[in-house]
Amino acid sequence: MKTYLKKNSTTVIIFIIIAVVFFIAAQGMETSQFVITILRGFSTGSVTFLVAAGFSLIFGLLNVLNLALGALYMIGAYIGWTVYVRPDTFIDVLTPLLIILSGFTLRDVWSFIITRFRLNRVKHKKWISWGLILMGLVLLTLIMARYPIAIWDLDNYPQSPITYSFMADQGMRLTPIEATFEEISPVIALLGLLIGSCLLAFGIANNKNSTSSNVKVNWKSFVLFAGLGLTAVLILIFNPQLTNFLLIISTNWLFVIAIMVAVLTGLGLGALLESTLIRPLYNRPIYQLMLTIGIATIGIEIVQAVWGRPEFVWPKPAIFRGTGEGCPATSLVDLWEYNCSTIFMLGGRVRVYDEIFIPIVGIFVLVLVWIILKRTRIGMVIRAGVQDSQMVEALGINVRRVFTQVFSLGVGLAAFGGALAAPSVGLSTTMGERLLLSALIALAIGGLGSYPGAALGSLLVGLTQQFLIRYGQIGIPIPFTDIVFKPSPPIVPASTVFLMVMILLILPCGLLGKKENS
Amino acid sequence: MMKNNVSFFRKNYGIFVFLLVMLVLPFVFGLFEGSTIGMIWRNQGSVSRFIQGLGIEIFILALFALSYDLLFGITGLLSFGHSMFYAVAAYGTGIALKTLSFPFWAVILLVCVTAVIQALLFSLVLPRVKGIIFTLVSLGLASMFHIIVRSSDLISLTGADVGLQGVIVPAFINPASQRLRFFSFALLLLVVVYLFYKQFIDSPTGRVCIAIRENEDRAKMLGYNTSHYKFIVMLISSFTASIAGFLHALYQPIISPSVADIGFTVTGLLIVLIGGVGTLNGAIIGAFILRLLDFYLRRFIGQSASFITGAIYVVFVLFVPFGIVGTWRMKRNDIKQGWARFSSMLNPKKVELD
Repeated sequence: MKTYLKKNSTTVIIFIIIAVVFFIAAQGMETSQFVITILRGFSTGSVTFLVAAGFSLIFGLLNVLNLALGALYMIGAYIGWTVYVRPDTFIDVLTPLLIILSGFTLRDVWSFIITRFRLNRVKHKKWISWGLILMGLVLLTLIMARYPIAIWDLDNYPQSPITYSFMADQGMRLTPIEATFEEISPVIALLGLLIGSCLLAFGIANNKNSTSSNVKVNWKSFVLFAGLGLTAVLILIFNPQLTNFLLIISTNWLFVIAIMVAVLTGLGLGALLESTLIRPLYNRPIYQLMLTIGIATIGIEIVQAVWGRPEFVWPKPAIFRGTGEGCPATSLVDLWEYNCSTIFMLGGRVRVYDEIFIPIVGIFVLVLVWIILKRTRIGMVIRAGVQDSQMVEALGINVRRVFTQVFSLGVGLAAFGGALAAPSVGLSTTMGERLLLSALIALAIGGLGSYPGAALGSLLVGLTQQFLIRYGQIGIPIPFTDIVFKPSPPIVPASTVFLMVMILLILPCGLLGKKENS
Repeated sequence: MMKNNVSFFRKNYGIFVFLLVMLVLPFVFGLFEGSTIGMIWRNQGSVSRFIQGLGIEIFILALFALSYDLLFGITGLLSFGHSMFYAVAAYGTGIALKTLSFPFWAVILLVCVTAVIQALLFSLVLPRVKGIIFTLVSLGLASMFHIIVRSSDLISLTGADVGLQGVIVPAFINPASQRLRFFSFALLLLVVVYLFYKQFIDSPTGRVCIAIRENEDRAKMLGYNTSHYKFIVMLISSFTASIAGFLHALYQPIISPSVADIGFTVTGLLIVLIGGVGTLNGAIIGAFILRLLDFYLRRFIGQSASFITGAIYVVFVLFVPFGIVGTWRMKRNDIKQGWARFSSMLNPKKVELD
């Protein structure tokens, strides 16, 4: 204990200073305000944590500062909104997506064919594979342009996402406009998509420089292929029934489904990005950073093209939006009975979703990922990889696969954060950039690549922001003068940045980061 | 080191050709439009004026990219706070001219002083933090400045979100009435800075900077005080970026807060990446490509032009990591041979002659 204190005296002093500052800040307000501010700090901190945890996992193992996480956080939010407000679009998109995926499940078969027929020894192999990829892409775009998907119309205000959000907020469920196959027959569409995806997958498999000659075809890939294809066809056949089912069920379940779809999208996008774009660049870390900036730009642009530039809201599910009789709730029993949107706690009126639900989910995820890291085999590999990934590889563990899994887990966490935060902060195309800065700050404060550090940093960032916002309303009386300083809203992010710069200058590795041996 | 018997003009003939072409360009475009040389000299003729305006923007971007290339490409410091140098100079010039109504020489002095102060600030940070942490700290410093500039507390000075408008530019260099003079001035500045940079890289100091990029620990081991060299680079870079910001404030009617954004630094990074990291002429070529591309894309595609910009980013990182100039330098001989083979295929007689 004594040696620990001696070694980390600076860290301990900084902790004490931060605690004292928060204590003084807490003295300046009433209890009810204090409780609300703390809860809001936890809420902001939780959302920041979900993105910062992604950052820290990815940076710790892969040494990639994935600046695209902000955009992916935003994409998670928009995907979740689509499932929640427009389930018909979601169901329509599902069929072509599954078909395209099914082509890639036969990866082993493609590499088997390639090695069996010596296609990887052919002259101009690169050109052939790129030609196949291009052909596949062209085919997919041609069919997707004609594939019927019920979607909103950005130019037409009554059918824009804003209107749909508003209607869903008012409790009016939309009457879905059924998209029917008019320009293309369903059989041709599905077959074309399948062929396109197979071409694409074959081209990608051919493009790899694998020299292994004995590729074994596993029966599992065929089962997966058949399963995906069958599901896609079934979804196409029972499309209206599924849509109706999603429209009829309670919004609470729809909300859960939306969050789950957002997380799954994040996981999938993460795996896709890592395996196609990030993997070729492991020996050039700066280029990876630049690549993620490019991905972020493209992601924001895609969101703007699909969902439009104006902001809109994600209505909260029924369990969090009760008003009228019995509300605001005064006890937990009332809360359970009337599903109130607000509750009286210690004299303050607290919003249930924003200030109670989000922090609980944040803590839950914190503990869950902590358990995964500490108690499972993959967690052990991750922790070992953070220490020395080359050594882990030398011990015969496929680190590359773990890299993909961790990258996709990080992106999934970010997408989860987006879907969780969107009902409280709304959807806008700048939400990613704003959160990216907070998450980076949290990461730097806590220490790069340190998972508990990300949690601590996020909490500090959230509390600092909320305390300053609160003091922006009350004002800080400056001692020995009559001036009351009121920090204006833009000062809030600046203050956290200031905190980061100060902490990093004193402790270059952050509060809980590994110390470099210099 | 190379033998130094090649004359200075011979060694840098490219940039002098560039200077001449750029000086002639407004006149050529003016003649196509139908205005006489005299008219262009008196700053008439709309097409020529437009070309000059585009040229000025490219030169300013190229100056900014050059300074970023010195920091990132030559010395290997990835800073995300570079736009701060540019924005401080731009806002400083604007406020000094508009609100404080300084005389022109005092404004130049002010820009120089702020450049030195910022270089000192960053150099204070530099020895303490390394690598990615420096990137984060510089990002933090720059975003603090961005937030301050955008905050409504300083709306009388900076114009907050709208930007600083109505800067009174002295008549002798006003881009509205004396555009050709402004154009030549910016061009000359670019050429002078480029030549200075080239000399700097060839100098012993510049060589140490390259050594720092390759392996900082080894450079330290050899007895070089690396933070000292980093400070020199930071000073030069901040100074150049400040010149670019100063020109921006004089040329643009509105100084928008987006120049203090991280996005602007990323633009600089993209230019350097397109041209080739660590190559000086790459920065100028990249600025040309990016500005012209942006101009035409916005004209033909509209708002989603930045999608293409992002795609270019990804494509360059994945397939052309050394940029245009870097790839050209690496594959120069291959390309020349390929062309020779191609031309011999088209013209078989030539082969017989050989």
